[in-house]
Amino acid sequence: MSGLSRGFRLASEFAAAIIVGAGLGYLIDMVLPTRPWAMIVLLLLGFAAGVLNVVRATKEMNAATAVPADTPALRDDEDE
Amino acid sequence: MTDERLNVAESANPIEPIHQFKITDIFNIGTFGGDGTPGSGVHLAFTNSALFMVLTVGAIGLLLIWGTARQAIIPGRVQLLGEMLYEFVANMVRNTAGHDGMKFFPLVFSLFMFILVANLFGMFPYFFTVTSHLIVTVMMALLVFFTVVIYGFWKNGPKFLKIFVPSGIPFVVLLIVVPIEIISFLSRPLSHSLRLFGNILAGHIVLKVFGGMMVALLSAGAWGVLAILPFGMAVALTGLEFLVAALQAFVFAVLTCVYLHDAMHPGH
Repeated sequence: MSGLSRGFRLASEFAAAIIVGAGLGYLIDMVLPTRPWAMIVLLLLGFAAGVLNVVRATKEMNAATAVPADTPALRDDEDE
Repeated sequence: MTDERLNVAESANPIEPIHQFKITDIFNIGTFGGDGTPGSGVHLAFTNSALFMVLTVGAIGLLLIWGTARQAIIPGRVQLLGEMLYEFVANMVRNTAGHDGMKFFPLVFSLFMFILVANLFGMFPYFFTVTSHLIVTVMMALLVFFTVVIYGFWKNGPKFLKIFVPSGIPFVVLLIVVPIEIISFLSRPLSHSLRLFGNILAGHIVLKVFGGMMVALLSAGAWGVLAILPFGMAVALTGLEFLVAALQAFVFAVLTCVYLHDAMHPGH
């Protein structure tokens, strides 16, 4: 998969969850007298769902492309 | 009404990058309902979009009928192409959705072939690109979405709702996680359709912008020498667009398999 399509995939996963969250909240606010709270809460939950979508998509992509054998191990703070 | 529309179509600048996505009536079927005033009722017509959908399905049908006509042990070129397409999609379904996912093979293969051929048809000059309209990709994504929901409930019953409840999480955290999972699930058809639509739309607009730049430079006297620059970009982008056309069909089909896997095995 090319870098462009990976980027587009992650961007659309993130944006879609936010749009759906905000839209769902807007619909609930139209029906129930909770305006504007359902939209605010669901918009924030939409952000969380977007992050979740991105994490899942990345996990999937990582599983699909094997790490090259000659990749050096990353240094971290524990090594100091 | 019809005259007005024709005038608009003729006066629109054909170099304008959006012009290529215009839907025009090829022949009218008629207007149903409404009170006779312009814009009311349901207007039905055989449009250029519909024409290219028919051509797409026709091309796929011809290819596969021709490819399976002789069933030789040593396959000819067309038979080989058909077999490769079958093997490619079948392996994708087996790897992503599992062996029991093969009962959805007809759906995945149809979607993959339709998007692939429609995207490749769009690469011909003057052809209409069916997948550059959101309504087309949304309908395909909703078809997959409702297949997942209906099959999931039919196969698993209420257990299908486990898809929203990750295992091994304390009850208090579930109060936040379940709404997040529901939004994540509902966002699938949107991202599924937006990605295909966005890629194709953006690619075709960029191609047209560079093409238009070339025409503008060529008509500017001595500056016409510079037209070689957008020309190079247009050539490179045409290659990229062929890649995108195939890749987006593949991505759409793979995600369909991933979602179908969830329908068959809810609970992560």
